[in-house]
Parts: sequence; C-alpha cells; structure tokens
Amino acid sequence: MSTQAINTPVAVQPDETGFFAMMAPGARRAFFYLVVIGVCFAIAFPVLWLILTSLRPASGMFYVHRGTEFTLENFVEVFANKTVLKAYLNSAIIATLATILSLGITVTSGYMLSRFKGPIATGWFSTIYLFRCVPYISWVLPLYLLTQSLGIYDTYLGLLLPHVAVHICFFSWLMKGFFDGIDPSMEYAALIDGCTRWGAFVRVALPSAIPGIAALAVLCWLWTWNEFLFALLLTSHNTPVLTVVMAQFVHELGIEWNLMSATAVMALGPALLITFFGQKYVISGLKI
Amino acid sequence: MRRVFSFFGEKERFMLALIAPAAITMALFQVVPIVLGANASFRDWNLYDPKKTWVGLKHYIEVITDPAFFGLAIPNTLMFLVASVTLSLVFGLCLALMLNRTFFGQSIVRTVILLPLMVAPVIASIMMRWMFNDQFGIVNVVLEGLGFQPVAWLAYRWTSMMIIVLADVWLWTPWFAVLLLAGLQSLPKEPFEAAAIDAAGPWRVFRSLTLPMLRPVIVVCVVIRSIDAFRVFDQVWVISGGGPARQTEMFSIYAYVEAFQRMNFGKGSAAALVGGLVIVVFGVILYRILDRAVEVSK
Repeated sequence: MSTQAINTPVAVQPDETGFFAMMAPGARRAFFYLVVIGVCFAIAFPVLWLILTSLRPASGMFYVHRGTEFTLENFVEVFANKTVLKAYLNSAIIATLATILSLGITVTSGYMLSRFKGPIATGWFSTIYLFRCVPYISWVLPLYLLTQSLGIYDTYLGLLLPHVAVHICFFSWLMKGFFDGIDPSMEYAALIDGCTRWGAFVRVALPSAIPGIAALAVLCWLWTWNEFLFALLLTSHNTPVLTVVMAQFVHELGIEWNLMSATAVMALGPALLITFFGQKYVISGLKI
Repeated sequence: MRRVFSFFGEKERFMLALIAPAAITMALFQVVPIVLGANASFRDWNLYDPKKTWVGLKHYIEVITDPAFFGLAIPNTLMFLVASVTLSLVFGLCLALMLNRTFFGQSIVRTVILLPLMVAPVIASIMMRWMFNDQFGIVNVVLEGLGFQPVAWLAYRWTSMMIIVLADVWLWTPWFAVLLLAGLQSLPKEPFEAAAIDAAGPWRVFRSLTLPMLRPVIVVCVVIRSIDAFRVFDQVWVISGGGPARQTEMFSIYAYVEAFQRMNFGKGSAAALVGGLVIVVFGVILYRILDRAVEVSK
C-alpha cells in the first residue's frame, strides 16, 4: 500500500453530544497532539533511558537523579572487549545467513500454500501451524543433544540451521499472504505461453512478491539478531552471540549496568539502520 | 520409488518440490529433536553421566504431581498470556486508530511507534529491570520525588509479574498496531461514508463498523500472539529469573531450570513435552476459531 493510501483519512463526523464536541476545534486538535506526544514519549522512554544510562560513568550509575556527568568510557571499554566484538560479528553473520536461507526456503513453500488446493496443501498448512504451536523449549533441550551428536554444537551451522527451521512455519504463512495478494492470472498466461511451472514462478510470481519478501527479510534479520534462547543453549565460547553476551553482564558480583547498556546500544545500531531503510516495506508488507 | 512418483501427477510433483527444502529442514531440526526429547523424557539422563537408565513414566508423574508445575508454572504462563495479549491488543488498536488519521508529523510518530520492534526482548527486559531497580531505578526516584514510598518491585510476585507483562506489552504493541493499521486501511470506504451521512458518532462508528469489519485481522493477531506468549522465556529469565521464590516461574523456565540447572535432563524434557502438549491442544482450539474467522486453510 502506498503512502498515499496511508494518509487517506476515513470520513468520520464528530460526535455532536460527546466530550469532544464541547471543545473548540483548536482545543480538540491540541488535545490530540498532546495524546500523540504522550504516547511517543511513553514508547520511546525505555530506549532513551538506555542510551542515557550507557553514557553515564560507572561511578555515577547510582546517582541517576543527581549527576549530570556524561562520558564515552563505557563504549571504549566495550569496544576493547574482544568477546563483545566477536559476538557482534557473529550475530551479524548468523542473522544475515539465516535471513537468506529462511526466505529462500519459505518463498517456495508460501507460494505452494497460496496457489494450490487439495490434501497436500492442507496437510502442509496444518503441519506448519502445528509446529508453530510447539514451544521453543521443547525443541531446544533436545536440539542441544542433536547438535552435539552431529558435531556442530557451538558452531555457526549449529545455530544457523535451528534458526532456519524455526522460521519456516511463520514465514511460510506470511509468504502465503503475500502471494494471495498477487493476481495469479499472469502466471496462467505464462503457462499458456509455454512457460514451465518453475518458469512461471521464477519469472512472474517472484518479481511481484519482492516488496513482501523485503518486509520479511527485515523482520527475519531483526528476529535472528534479537534471539536469545537458542543462542543461550546452542552456543558457548567459540561462537558468542550478542544477546547472550549482554545477559552475561549479570553475574555474582552484581550487574554492570553501564557496560550492559553500552552493549545494548551497540546492538540497537544495526537494527535501527535495517528498520530505517526497510520501514516502507515493513509497513506496507505486513498484511496477513 | 518410481511408481510412487508417477502416482503423483506433474502438478503434485511440483507442489512437493516447492515444499521439499522446508519439509526436510523441519524434519531434521524439529521432528528429530522432538523424538530425541521424547526418548530422553523416559530416562534418567544427566548431561554429565553417560548412563541413560530407562525409568518409564517416572518423570511425567513427577512433573504432573509437582505443585510448582500445574500449581505455579502453567497458571503463571496462562495469566501472562491473557494479560499480555489483551493489553497489547487494546493499545495496538488505539495506536492503529490514531495512525489511521492524517496529522502533522505522522511519519516521525510512525517511526517512534515501530521502535520496540527493533529492540531485542533481552534488551527491553534489561531496561525494565534497571528502571524498576529498587534503589536506583528511575521509577522509584520519581515515586520518591512525588513523596511516595519506594517499592521493592522485584521482591513480590505481583509487581514482578506486572513488570514482565509491561515489558512484553511494550515489545508487542507495535506489532499489533502495524497489522491492525494494515487491516484498517484495506477496509472499504463506503460504509464509513454512509455513517458520516447519518451523522453517527465516532464511538458508534467504531463499535458497529470498524470493529466487526476488522475482526478477521484481530483474530489472526490474537491467535499468533497467544501461541507465542505461551513460550515466553527471555523476559522472565532476565527480569525475575522466575523469582521471587519461583513465584513468577513460567513453563519454559521450569523446563530449562530442570534440565540445565538441576541437571535432570529427563525431567526437563518431560516438562517441555507436557507443556508442549498443553499448548498444542490450545493451539488446535485456536485453529478452529481462526479457520472460522478467516478460512486460512482454504
């Protein structure tokens, strides 16, 4: 959907007897903006507070309401930390590979769900729905055993493949939604013109689904980047991942709030960039 | 093999080829682990001990009779689910209605509202925990500034629960808002124009037009989020760790702690499977509702 459509107002007349009718139009508008600003502040506050915390010196941590001292020493310390840097790189590699693989697999699966009827399609839909219901913890405990016996525990592959497997269910479903929104008559035309089924899929359906795929790529990347439980269980010293490293600032001696916030702000950076450039697709693409 | 293959027509072969990569990955990394977990749940299995004695249903009986499981973990999970999904649906709907109007600075507001989607649940939870820190947290600083007594938020069951739900609502409200906004914008214009001619008030329009027409989208969102909320782990783990005294322990924390901290992999797997069964039954009921509302499987 274009920005134009987003901005199209729905014609609703003001209620003649309601609370708002007692206000002048100007006051009504002022009230609306007050609400908007309040909502934005409430939503942004935790992130702003995180950034503020990351800029405080370790000694000033516990004088939140008094000190106004700011410093970059937390970031310097975090950047000097080899584990954090390695985790940063690992998270990026795994998120990118998982996005490519997951979307590669689910684009065909979603296409099938959208274009075909019959027992195979219904059966596949029921399967992915059922597996989406199974809680992560029911997989992850034995996945720990599986990756160890396959010799891929604590490697890229050992974290990547379970991620891809978990993404299949939901992304197939979302992909189905995108293909549902694309008129199949062009593909029929291509088939009549002598295209193979694969040809019709690759040349006709796939290009029209690109905005949807872009939206999912953004989501998939973010979710893998932000994921915690899988990383906690399937990795150790060799492939540290950012979310786990962050949680490790909570230890017996207390919580290193300043370092934790600095790492968290670093983790937010790429996520913000990706969302900033992909926002258009996410908003228009997310329809089920 | 060839006979089986020729039994399927050219179309069926194409269908199978389309889902083959996904199906193989699922079989390897979802079906196989579940079978492995089921095997482990019937054995006394320590991760450091190579002996895996078969003990039959012992772990299942332990889990089912454990007051911490059906008395605490599962009720906590369900309470969390209902509170989190209801609140994020209500807030998400309000945000979607707000964004569906045209106003100055809309694109900035939209960006701000999407912010929580980019934040890792772990980061959000760390932040909540820091903001609600009993001595140095901003919430208590503000409370004291206003003349109230500071509260030891994470020392009580209900306040801890509230913070966990708050973190989740903060994280997932934008998700509802985006999906509901997309739904709002695909609604037909004519009924709203007719309502405007009849001079219907905004509340009346919302209740009799918007809400019923938006119902399919709402149902899809609620079903997806409910299934997800059941397996919440990150927020609880970081905010309360299940404490104080297991009072906010949820089902996935229970299974994790059993398997990896009490080193009873068998019992952890049994708990994971019992909980999995509960949610699958719940999921099938939701599927019926979903199917009636939007006919997804057609």
